[in-house]
Amino acid sequence: MKIRVQNYTPEGFIALDNSALIYPPTEAVYNANTFRVSLDLCYTIKQEILEQALHDVLERCSYAKVSLHAGFFWYYLSPNTKQPLVHPEGSYPSGRFSFKENNGYLFKVLYSEHRIALECFHALTDGSGAMAYLKLLVERYCHYADIADFQFPGGLNYKARPSIQEFSDPFQHLYDKNLPSYPKISKAYHRKGTGSIDDRVKVISASIPTKQIKERAKARGITIGEYLSSTYLYALQQLQQQEVPLQKQRKPIRLSVPMNLRKIFGYETMRNFTLFAVIGIEPALGYYTFEEIAKEVHLQMAVSQDRKRLLSQIRRNVGGERTPLIRFAPNMLKNPLFKLLSDYLGDDQYSGVISNLGQLELPPALEGTIRRADFHLSPGLLNRVALTVIGYLDTIVVNFTSFLNTDTELERLFCTFMVEDGIEVTLSTNRETDR
Amino acid sequence: MAYCIRCGVKLEEGSKACPLCKTPVQLPPGMEESKQQPLFAQNLPSRGLGGVNKTRKGIIELIISLFVISELTVFLSMWLSGNGSQSFIPLFSIAMAALSLILAFSVKPTYTMQASIQCVLVAVYLFGLDASDFRIFWSLIASPALGVGWLYFVYPFTRRAMQKPKKAAGICLLGSLGYLALINLVVGHSLTWFVPVTLPVVGTLLILLGLFALWFTKRKNKRVPLADVVLATLVVLFGTITSLDFFLSGYQLGVYTLRWSTGLLSTSLVVLLFLVSVSVSRRVRRFFTSHNRHN
Repeated sequence: MKIRVQNYTPEGFIALDNSALIYPPTEAVYNANTFRVSLDLCYTIKQEILEQALHDVLERCSYAKVSLHAGFFWYYLSPNTKQPLVHPEGSYPSGRFSFKENNGYLFKVLYSEHRIALECFHALTDGSGAMAYLKLLVERYCHYADIADFQFPGGLNYKARPSIQEFSDPFQHLYDKNLPSYPKISKAYHRKGTGSIDDRVKVISASIPTKQIKERAKARGITIGEYLSSTYLYALQQLQQQEVPLQKQRKPIRLSVPMNLRKIFGYETMRNFTLFAVIGIEPALGYYTFEEIAKEVHLQMAVSQDRKRLLSQIRRNVGGERTPLIRFAPNMLKNPLFKLLSDYLGDDQYSGVISNLGQLELPPALEGTIRRADFHLSPGLLNRVALTVIGYLDTIVVNFTSFLNTDTELERLFCTFMVEDGIEVTLSTNRETDR
Repeated sequence: MAYCIRCGVKLEEGSKACPLCKTPVQLPPGMEESKQQPLFAQNLPSRGLGGVNKTRKGIIELIISLFVISELTVFLSMWLSGNGSQSFIPLFSIAMAALSLILAFSVKPTYTMQASIQCVLVAVYLFGLDASDFRIFWSLIASPALGVGWLYFVYPFTRRAMQKPKKAAGICLLGSLGYLALINLVVGHSLTWFVPVTLPVVGTLLILLGLFALWFTKRKNKRVPLADVVLATLVVLFGTITSLDFFLSGYQLGVYTLRWSTGLLSTSLVVLLFLVSVSVSRRVRRFFTSHNRHN
């Protein structure tokens, strides 16, 4: 006889989505699991108006009005009745933030003279979700500040009731236990970097004209995202060559590229709905020219976006969550094991992260108002430099976030390659050298 | 807007150096760039917030979880089998082992720090074991012994002891004397043998050490041959043991005499005579030394 386990959900208990399960137990110094999206406007930001706009956002997206709690078996979300706070911007993005100081909210709204930023703990949503929140926030801010009344293309409609899909976990819908699990891959090369590290996030921001990079990418038959991934791999290959002189000892260089599954599977969820394409090269086989890397990246990206493979990855991830041993083990035991095994199952497999939010589509009313858009990701202890990409108007911003205090070799190789390829790169930073 | 002459990247207005290669920006004389709005509202703080990293946190949490589970299991099994009253020692042992592991992973991984913490924990553990029957006896000797061990094997390696070695030596000696007095108090309930035996023996040791130190440091050439140090150590050692025999016989028999250390005394006197002769007469020293080293 088959025994079926009945799901029991107590009141005020909102289960984390499958992809979010790993973030609360692994949160620590050098592993903040946060990211930031921001928009710079031409106008001076006023705190009172921003608070009003935030109130509207939470009224529309009540599923973001939650706080995180540790249960006996799992971490869970529950409705948060406290007042959301608006903070002045600090000195670096995507650091650890204390939920307590933020009234328990998993996102933080920050402002500076011209900037509205949304910093988010990954358990709440992914980059695309956070961008949707930010768009709505800016929309409401502009409404109250009498700047303009508009709606972002593809953004949330403030006046519409939230759909059920917005806070559903599509991973659970797409889980098919009859599929084979996705295979585990070997350890990748990790660059330790030189010099000291600390938990301050150092940023080097490169602004690139979209037209120029598009031309170079098109000439090679690849997309802008693939061009940037190839450049990243190329820079890592050069660094590995210096560090590991013997060719056969060189480990594979791989990148983790988060993919937004909303378009692929047609879900409009506001929770995490991202899987990672792991693309890379095998330097043990020999030196790769940039053209060879670009070709590899293009092919591997196409394969990674295949629906069947993605479903197999979902099968592996959700299957893990549903394993009785994990499901019924107390949180007290699961937490330390997640902390100790997370590198083995995640960061170990790739040498860097490149997260691309794509082109930010602006409504015509806002085109002259936006000065800059940014996206920052917290780096890790194993992969100490993270790279994020966002496009707005005619510019692409590539942000390198790093824990390394003085070592900027990876950034240098990345930027100089683009300069040599004929692309104009403008840099700004929060590192001490510059200010 | 300036360009980095090495990397070729464009730098934002007001930049002093290229963030990639640190090459300073060289502007034409008299030209100054206005400062652009910084990337973030504030400058980077001088240092990070710090904290326990993921792996270390994981290990500590795992130890705590296993501690709670093992404590519950041991207590319940002993209680259910009717031996609940005897569960203190196993429960206390598990708690101390868990605490020791947690501290090993959470404090600074230096020899002095780790050894000091483990010494304190073992001392507390011994007190705890002894106090399980609500009486303290043997732990009053065993636990302070760890303190004396710490004085000789850990304290000399601390920064403070290395800066002031004479003071550190004095502290070690006082600590040892205090420990001997404590043993006498615990076993005999008064200072029965400490005053008539230990103090004079330690006094003899100090006098001999002081005399040799004075002699060696006041030598014309500051170099002290290793052979002299070894011989002096023998004299100090034999002399101290002889004094122990002398004062012990006075304490036990009431008569101050040498019972078994006459041979040691004569040996030490011969060695001392030899030491004096080699240091006074260069001819005697050369007779006992290799000529190759004196050309």
